[in-house]
Amino acid sequence: MNTTATTPVFGVRNLWKVFGPRADRVPGDPLLADLPQADLRARTGCTAAVRDVSFDVRKGEVFVVMGLSGSGKSTLVRCLTRLIEPTSGTLEIDGDDVLAMDGSRLRELRRRRAAMVFQHFGLLPHRSVLDNVAYGLEIQGVGRAERRARAAGFVEKVGLAGLEHRRPGQLSGGQQQRVGLARALAVDPEVLLFDEPFSALDPLIRRDMQEEVVRLHREEGRTMVFITHDLGEALRVGDRIALMRDGRIVQLGTPEEIVGAPADDYVRDFVRDVPREQVVTVRTAMRPMRADDAGNGPALPPGATVSEAITAAAHGGGTPVRVVENGRCLGVVDPQTLLGVVAGVTPPAGKAAA
Amino acid sequence: MTPTTTSKQGPGEKRPTAPRPTAPRRPANAAPGEAPTTPRPAPAAPTPTTTGAGATDDGSPTTVVPPRVPDDGSPTTVVRPRTPEGGGAPPAARGATAPAPSTAPPALRPGTPTPDGGTTAACTPAPAGTGTAAAGGRRAPWRRPRVLGGAASALVLGLAGALLLGGGGWPAGLTVDLSAPLDDANQWVLDNRDTHPLFLYFLLHLSNTAVDAVNAVYGVLAAMGWPGVLTAGVLLAWRAAGFDRRGARVACVAFGAFALCGLLGMWDATLLTLALMVVAVAVAALLGALIGLAAGLSDRVDRALRPVLDTMQVLPAFAYLLPFVLVFGTGTPAALFCTVIYAAPPMARLTALGLRSADPGVLEAAVSLGANGRQRLWTARLPLARRRMLLGLNQTIMMALSMVVIAALVGAGGLGEEVYSALSTVDVGKALAAGIPIVLIAVWLDRTTAAAGDRLGATAPRRGLLHGRSAWALAAGGTLAATLAGLAFGTTWPRGWTYDISTPVNRAQDWIVDHLSTGVPLVGGTQVWSDAFTVGLLNPLRDGLQWLPWWALLLLVAALARLVGTWLSALTATAALAATGVLGVWTKSLDTLSQVVAALAVTLVVGVLTGVACARLRWVERWLRPVLDTLQTMPQFVYLIPVVALFGVSRAAAITAAVVYALPAVVRITAQGVREVDPAALEAARSMGASTRQQLFQVQLPLARPALKLAVNQGVVLVLAVVVVGGLVGGGALGYDVVKGLSRGEMGTGVTAGLAIVCLGLVLDRITQPTARGPRP
Repeated sequence: MNTTATTPVFGVRNLWKVFGPRADRVPGDPLLADLPQADLRARTGCTAAVRDVSFDVRKGEVFVVMGLSGSGKSTLVRCLTRLIEPTSGTLEIDGDDVLAMDGSRLRELRRRRAAMVFQHFGLLPHRSVLDNVAYGLEIQGVGRAERRARAAGFVEKVGLAGLEHRRPGQLSGGQQQRVGLARALAVDPEVLLFDEPFSALDPLIRRDMQEEVVRLHREEGRTMVFITHDLGEALRVGDRIALMRDGRIVQLGTPEEIVGAPADDYVRDFVRDVPREQVVTVRTAMRPMRADDAGNGPALPPGATVSEAITAAAHGGGTPVRVVENGRCLGVVDPQTLLGVVAGVTPPAGKAAA
Repeated sequence: MTPTTTSKQGPGEKRPTAPRPTAPRRPANAAPGEAPTTPRPAPAAPTPTTTGAGATDDGSPTTVVPPRVPDDGSPTTVVRPRTPEGGGAPPAARGATAPAPSTAPPALRPGTPTPDGGTTAACTPAPAGTGTAAAGGRRAPWRRPRVLGGAASALVLGLAGALLLGGGGWPAGLTVDLSAPLDDANQWVLDNRDTHPLFLYFLLHLSNTAVDAVNAVYGVLAAMGWPGVLTAGVLLAWRAAGFDRRGARVACVAFGAFALCGLLGMWDATLLTLALMVVAVAVAALLGALIGLAAGLSDRVDRALRPVLDTMQVLPAFAYLLPFVLVFGTGTPAALFCTVIYAAPPMARLTALGLRSADPGVLEAAVSLGANGRQRLWTARLPLARRRMLLGLNQTIMMALSMVVIAALVGAGGLGEEVYSALSTVDVGKALAAGIPIVLIAVWLDRTTAAAGDRLGATAPRRGLLHGRSAWALAAGGTLAATLAGLAFGTTWPRGWTYDISTPVNRAQDWIVDHLSTGVPLVGGTQVWSDAFTVGLLNPLRDGLQWLPWWALLLLVAALARLVGTWLSALTATAALAATGVLGVWTKSLDTLSQVVAALAVTLVVGVLTGVACARLRWVERWLRPVLDTLQTMPQFVYLIPVVALFGVSRAAAITAAVVYALPAVVRITAQGVREVDPAALEAARSMGASTRQQLFQVQLPLARPALKLAVNQGVVLVLAVVVVGGLVGGGALGYDVVKGLSRGEMGTGVTAGLAIVCLGLVLDRITQPTARGPRP
């Protein structure tokens, strides 16, 4: 996904959100800005929910912001459309300065460019499913007949056909979140923002919904910003993950980078129980081909995971698996390498070599 | 699918905020089942300062909460039995609210009693803080003995002082005579009513408009004829409750109510009362909704309004009549205006509460989609507040009804007038003939609005001819057809279709007087009981209070108020009691106080016992529930009728009416409190082999303490309101002065007595505020 040349969907630089009295003095004051959360509260009565955060969300990617509760991730995503007003920093959407927008331009942004899906759905209990889905269009001023017709398509798309006239109260949690998703999709936004959308659902339904999101992303390629506190969910849906702690991003990278090369002990602790073979790719795990390697092992693309390589190796009778791209052999993974990844004893080869 | 759970997320449910106390006037009951449905908002916000708090909730439409209604936030309490979404009545059913333990418990406080809708609810007890409470916060346990000691020593000191110095009333030197200036003011109004510009260009227009409006509505109702009105009432009830089985039941209630009104020969009076109600409710609801809108959208308005509404809750209905009579004289305008003022607060409070407790998640979703302020209001906040607003409307209607009836004292006419004139000649039969229609109308209005509120649940609307707009058209068409039919057959209720119950009722009453009042073997008789009560309890209590030196009494009240509340509440209570002395009605105030205390004692003993029985014995609860529902629907005026039949005109009669009026609330609150004791605690006791008695005394009652305190407070306010009305039937003292002032235009006497009653209300409220020590979140 090499789209760095184009303008990012969201460009965030040095963003701060501080709650509390005279919050705006905190970001600019180096003495205060570096204080730990508790000290800052003691000194100023302020809480810095987002501290000096910078990142780009590239077009078409699923950007996951991950962290435990209180890490500032929900605040961060609300800052993106100024549902919460950032304290300082710069924020651009497609190159437009969001912080400079006046009320009507901001509403226009919210109406057409970014739509959000909420943890607790935020559905209107007095309206039918169809009218809930059409709500965003109604706010845009779309006529009743047209918005209902358009909404009906999205109801179907999220798999709720036949339930159009139910009220949210008559739906299960998973179904309600599908309504929330359809409502966000209905306005055809450039970017979808998900605020822990599946945390309130039970695990089976959560898995379903995650697959639904992955499917939608595959089909439409829409840019998504996804907030979650669930590492498994982050790894499953994310192209890139920003891991937050105490308002800062402690590591930003692909799932593989996060799992394979934790930036610090906190991240390492976090990813310790992740089944690494399902995240680490053979591109990372492989070692250069050596003269004594047999050249006839099974071939895999570099994006394959280690667990796929294990399967292939098992079928191949133990010969090293070749990593092949465009007909060129980039390297091999032998059973020893694979075991090392699974056991977590050797850092992935790429890193180890370096 | 978890429809249920989801549907229950009330807007309020998740609010981070703290509960706020409010006080409904009538206690509520809530059905446990319901409780969940009702949102229990826990609003945060500072508590109101003044009156205590009761919290309310609204969840259910029917409750009437009177004046002290919920503030925002309150978790609530008042719920009505049938609940909205509750659907199946849960076991506890009507009556109890089930506050979730975890949520802040609501406190309910009664305000003045109103007749409200009946089935009002119970409340949950809660410690919501009252304003003062806020100040107090949770008191450290070690401080209590000291306070107790202080109170005890104040009491001892007072008694000792009384013995040493001799008793005595309020020193004459410390009084201020308000009667003369008030009479002067009244005279000035009378003299200038036709000439002063204030009247010519403002007040006169108001009163003329009021009269015109009532006459217009009455004219329309009269023109519709009885078939038209009857059909309209039935179809309206049916449509509002939904064209289904429940709707059909409500429609039957409507039909029965109107038909009986006609049968009892009260058709015209009923129409007049309805006309007054239509105008008063329309204005009160509109005014309340606008005020509520302002308070819901603006924090500043909300802050400014809250103390005003809190104060209004403490005032008995009577207190509202006096100033209006002063300005407008007796007649329809005064009755109408005070009804509007009396009935508007619940609408305002619940509208504001509804707007404020809208699910923040929904509002955020609306903002995230780019909704502007107006779109948020119309598409999200107002629709989300609809159920609360309908509950407010229900309460407004029930309060308006009770006030319209009481306003007969100032010449409002209608059913209240019939009751009043019959009572003043002790014609129980006639009073009953007028009282029954009042009860029926109350039941009709209550059931209709409650059913309409229930229908606003989260279920999908049904479609078809019998639903939606076409159903309204159908109802209107039916009414029109009936009206036309009425024009053909006659619009007045057929003379032959009436039945005079006053003669048989009076005969029955004579029989009661002859056979039951004295000489019944073993049990004595009603007259005997009443005399014994008067001589044995009432007189000693009154004489004792009047014998105590005034400063000892002040000291005692201060100590009591400090004991349950804060220094601020002690100060308020003392000042209020002193005010009655300053007004020059010390002796009469103590007379009224003695009646309140006696009535309260009886109410609490009977109420708590019944409440505990209700909570522990399913069959008692099942039998009592409908009785309590009906009792709570009736305006306080109506209670006087049967007690006069039994006890004649006496203080005991007035007290009995007060007891009957206050009982349902006390029973419900107690039952609910006992029933809702943490099941884990009860189970633990049972697992250790506690006997029933041990369970009750060691677990249930101690844990239900907040509910019991609340019951006391509710009881006080309810009792006080009726003891005042009891002035009509021999209660004497302040109540009689008010009635006399109102009916004879002796403003000085009436207003002074009215102020003294308000002061007494404050005193009693402060020394029984159950919520004072509530934990502040």
